[in-house]
Amino acid sequence: MLFWQDLVNGILVGGIFAVVALGFSLVWGIMNIINLAHGAFIMMGAYTAYVLFATWHVDPFLSIPIGFVLLYAFGYCIQRFVINYVVRAPLLTTFLLTFGLSLLIVNVALLIFHGDTKGITTSYSGANFSIGAVTVGWTKLWTLLVALAITAIMHVWLSSSRTGRAIRAMALDIDAAQLTGVRVSHLYAVVFGLGAGLAGAAGVLISLSYSLQPSMGDPFVITAFVCCVLGGLGTVQGALVGGLVYGVLESFGAQYIGTGLQDAVALVVLLLVLIVRPRGILGKVTA
Amino acid sequence: MGCIRVGALFALIVAGALALTTAVPAPARADDSTIVFGAALAATGSNAREGALTKAGYDFWKDYVNAHGGMKVGGKTYKVDIKYYDDESNPQTAARLVERLVSEDHVNFILGPYGSANSATAAAAVERLKVPMVEGNGAAASIFSQGYKYTFAVLAPGFKYLQGILEMARTLKPAPKTVAISTANDTFSVEVGQGAADYATAHGMQVVYQNKYPADTTDVSAIVSAIKATNADIVLNGGHLDEALLLQRTFKEQDVNAKIFGYSVGPDTPDFRKTLGKDADWVFGGTQWSPTAKYQGAPGFIGDSKVYAAQFQKKYGYIPEYHNAESTAACLAFMYAIEKAGTLDPQKVRDALQNLDVVTFYGILKFDSRGINVYKPMAVNQIQHGQLMTVWPLGVQNAKPMYPTPAWSAR
Repeated sequence: MLFWQDLVNGILVGGIFAVVALGFSLVWGIMNIINLAHGAFIMMGAYTAYVLFATWHVDPFLSIPIGFVLLYAFGYCIQRFVINYVVRAPLLTTFLLTFGLSLLIVNVALLIFHGDTKGITTSYSGANFSIGAVTVGWTKLWTLLVALAITAIMHVWLSSSRTGRAIRAMALDIDAAQLTGVRVSHLYAVVFGLGAGLAGAAGVLISLSYSLQPSMGDPFVITAFVCCVLGGLGTVQGALVGGLVYGVLESFGAQYIGTGLQDAVALVVLLLVLIVRPRGILGKVTA
Repeated sequence: MGCIRVGALFALIVAGALALTTAVPAPARADDSTIVFGAALAATGSNAREGALTKAGYDFWKDYVNAHGGMKVGGKTYKVDIKYYDDESNPQTAARLVERLVSEDHVNFILGPYGSANSATAAAAVERLKVPMVEGNGAAASIFSQGYKYTFAVLAPGFKYLQGILEMARTLKPAPKTVAISTANDTFSVEVGQGAADYATAHGMQVVYQNKYPADTTDVSAIVSAIKATNADIVLNGGHLDEALLLQRTFKEQDVNAKIFGYSVGPDTPDFRKTLGKDADWVFGGTQWSPTAKYQGAPGFIGDSKVYAAQFQKKYGYIPEYHNAESTAACLAFMYAIEKAGTLDPQKVRDALQNLDVVTFYGILKFDSRGINVYKPMAVNQIQHGQLMTVWPLGVQNAKPMYPTPAWSAR
């Protein structure tokens, strides 16, 4: 019984991890930027949902597109006017820049919202149903479904839309893409905007189950990192598989090896993947 | 080109860092008519909220004393002042700033940082510097097992935090028999959990679940499903506000029905009630102090909890919680000890602290040889219809415990 409950718990939380990892994976895979401000973007999305909920009682599920659009615009500007200047610099530079950005955003949030822990409690929060001995929370189930929907939309968009295909072309060979008329600086900003927008959407989803404070996004950066490596970089399916696998691993690790070691279990698996299959579960070999 | 840009970026970062460190306002130096206390307190980082509560507690005392003519030490009257630095919630930074407060800013005494980890590193620093520190926000007894002579804590030690709830539970009918305990994996929380487990075992209750989780965990569902499987009567947590919120939500979501839900940190803070709304009802919490506590304090400061709470609320706009009160109490320990010593000599003030025995609005201030206030009991609060009531111990309570907690489906 505990086994099934843990499996369900793992998949449900894995859905959140997948959306968290999706934006991070796009930015890393396509632009080769490990965005340490990803957690700060998640926090911004969560606070967007909070402000809308506290002021106008907007249901967080309805805030998802708002969070996405706001963060997309923010991310687009950040890339265009800040990161673009160092995008071809060594990895360490973008590392430092996004880390500094993260500190800046978190501390501005601290000034505006203070360190108080906040939360969103909807009329349906905590509502659940049982199948046999397995209890499932409605909020978490809907969160998973929305996460799957977002992933599907992203996949379709990237593989069939003109911009989506240009982005993938740019990831494959930036010079050739440029020669065929792809506007790289604009597309880079679009990709970074998408990464931020997805973080914003993830933040809104997270606000339904977690409490909010300005540094809430930090642990999710590591989660995103692990999911990307597990699933394979730069693809939508990779982030999804990575998120779900990580969620289930953590859940089982916590139950059968020790809650104190739940992170350790997932990280050991990460190491094993890096040794045995360095391109990730779904990753392809690049020439 | 890349290299030049990296160089320029580094130069910018270094320049920025320098500008930050030099932009700190000129230190309030100890002069002939002012006693200066120093404190490294979190203004940013994960403890920013608690750091602000601590600061309010310190400042309340400072303003009160200055408004009432200052402190009399050896026939001379002094004003008091407190110099603050931001330790960024980082233990190493706290220690470094304490060194700076003493050796560069020449403060007379140190008031503690927020949190057990930061208090531990600060304690090591004051030991080296031989300057006494009184703290009100580091409750891990492990801080005091190092043989330190210069650190004193006004609060009851960690292992007592949840014992009050168990003590109270033993008087309730039908008597709860089984206990499940989860704790964050940090010094203080582990001590809280172990203290509860030891007490439960010693008093005929059965500990059916005891486990640790990483302190900044984002997922507690495995713990909750395991606790549900044990069907424990009492479900306790020793941790922090974030996890208390996460656990309480997940207990509801997974339909875990215990007779008592108790937390070491959480129910006391207004955030807990605001965030959870009705789902916060029936929850118990251990507390160092509550505004209804009935102590008769010594002269020199407000002696009554109700009056303290009222004046504090007038000044800061919110009802003080125990973080505020224990911070004020740390200042009071210094005040009574310095007045008794009749000098500002660090060594003599340390000795006076060691021999202190005074009752304040916060309770008794008296330290054992390690510097812990083992003489102070913990109270128990319960959230009843959205209000925080004190339900234990009997002499202090302003409401009866509501028991047993109904099932989630019956609320």
